[in-house]
Amino acid sequence: MTSRSLGQFYPVASPVHDLDPRAKIVATAVFVVGLFLIDSTVGLLFVAAALVALVAVSRIPAGTFLRLLRPMFFIVALTVLIQVLFSREGATLLEWGILEIHSGGLRLGFFLALRILLLVSSAGLLTATTAPVALADGIEDLLSPLRRVRFPAHEVAMMMTIALRFIPTLGEEAEKIKGAQAARGADFSRGGPLRRARSLVPVLVPLTVGAFRRADELAEAMESRGYRGGEGRTRYRELRFRKGDAFALAATVLVLLVGILL
Amino acid sequence: MRLELKGVRYVYAAGTPFEVEALRGVSLVVEPREVLGIVGSTGSGKSTLVQHMNLLLTPTSGSVLVDGVDARSLQKSELRRRVGLVFQFPEAALFAPTVEEDVAFAPRQLGLDEEEVQERVTESLRVLGAGEFARRSPFALSGGEKRRAAIAGVLAMRPEVLVLDEPTAGLDPATREDLLALILGLREAGISVVLVSHDLDEVAEVADRVCVLHEGMLHAVGTPAEVFYKEPVQAPATVRVVSLVKESRPEIGDPVRFEETLDALRTLQGI
Repeated sequence: MTSRSLGQFYPVASPVHDLDPRAKIVATAVFVVGLFLIDSTVGLLFVAAALVALVAVSRIPAGTFLRLLRPMFFIVALTVLIQVLFSREGATLLEWGILEIHSGGLRLGFFLALRILLLVSSAGLLTATTAPVALADGIEDLLSPLRRVRFPAHEVAMMMTIALRFIPTLGEEAEKIKGAQAARGADFSRGGPLRRARSLVPVLVPLTVGAFRRADELAEAMESRGYRGGEGRTRYRELRFRKGDAFALAATVLVLLVGILL
Repeated sequence: MRLELKGVRYVYAAGTPFEVEALRGVSLVVEPREVLGIVGSTGSGKSTLVQHMNLLLTPTSGSVLVDGVDARSLQKSELRRRVGLVFQFPEAALFAPTVEEDVAFAPRQLGLDEEEVQERVTESLRVLGAGEFARRSPFALSGGEKRRAAIAGVLAMRPEVLVLDEPTAGLDPATREDLLALILGLREAGISVVLVSHDLDEVAEVADRVCVLHEGMLHAVGTPAEVFYKEPVQAPATVRVVSLVKESRPEIGDPVRFEETLDALRTLQGI
């Protein structure tokens, strides 16, 4: 049906899933910034160990988590390759024609690859352990101070929720349309890139038409249920910032500090 | 042709927490020149089942046989031409600027010459009573017209088996009647039709045999009379009426089709 990929929610019960979405969002943001302040490989490895422990606590099977990261492997490999081939720092390890591999390049490549992987893993862990709606609620709440400068926090969060909510729906729709066209003899894997791109027209046209139809229907459904925007709207699920959330935030900062100092 | 499914099992999203076993070993045969009705409640696996008939889905285990030959050994394009599959709400896959162009999509994929393509397009549109809006945009049509255009798009491949998944869902009565007449006409022309439907009355009207699917398993197979009279609670209106009459007048027999039932009631003495 749908292939699992980066940014997909993985619904199991775990202490990480239970955290307040705001705590997780802030912790992830802090983590991402912190990663760029760490300049030693040892520091990164320490932070990586902490993240691996956190993934274990989240009860997401290691294999599944790695599969969530799969779309990133190409970029990581490319980064390593560029560093290894073009960096001329440190001792020369290998010389072959115009190719030179230096120890510095190898080290830098590893360092950058680790940083990218940690960056993506942290974001992946956030979306894998936080339901899309909770994520949007969290973002709305974190953005709400900006309402004073007329920033439409609720509307932005609602648009995000809708977008996230409809990704699987559109995915399913695309699968159905692909199936219907395949039944009419369409072949999406034959020929060169141009031909393959052209073969997607019979899928993209109905998918786009369907998306607009859905948008209309959704707008009507929302209006008929009295939706008028964020003003005075209450929530079924109230966000609660508990001790555990504060602890998680503090632990994140602490791990990063150790990483920076190492 | 004779299409056979043997012990077909299918698991969605295998190896994830979303894993669902949609089919748990279904075996059935679509005989040449028959209308096979497939009924069952929502989520019973009907749509998953029909997608195995042209191998849009490949069984997790079990096999699909075309005239006794494993369908996996056939060319995919060949199989999809011989077994035409019309999805539920097929109008969602209309895409071309005109109905004509859309119907021409499948024959063109088959690599036929333009003359043959045009002939098939005209023929399919005529059979579906869609000739008059051939040059209009499919997006400007009514629901019933869109449905006709979409079915014509599959029929243009001249399949030997036509699989229709809920072809009458959400249609107006006139288009619905036309489609049922079309199904019978196709059978006369030697094409087997698989009709998946929630509507027991229409299945009773056109099917030669009926399969009942329940939670991914075949619950019953047989002629409409055999299947529907076994459990008259979930049966077409005709069968439910006859079952009531039968309590005092068993000689009424087992009529299923509407006209048949009327005749049976008329010949009963004292009604």
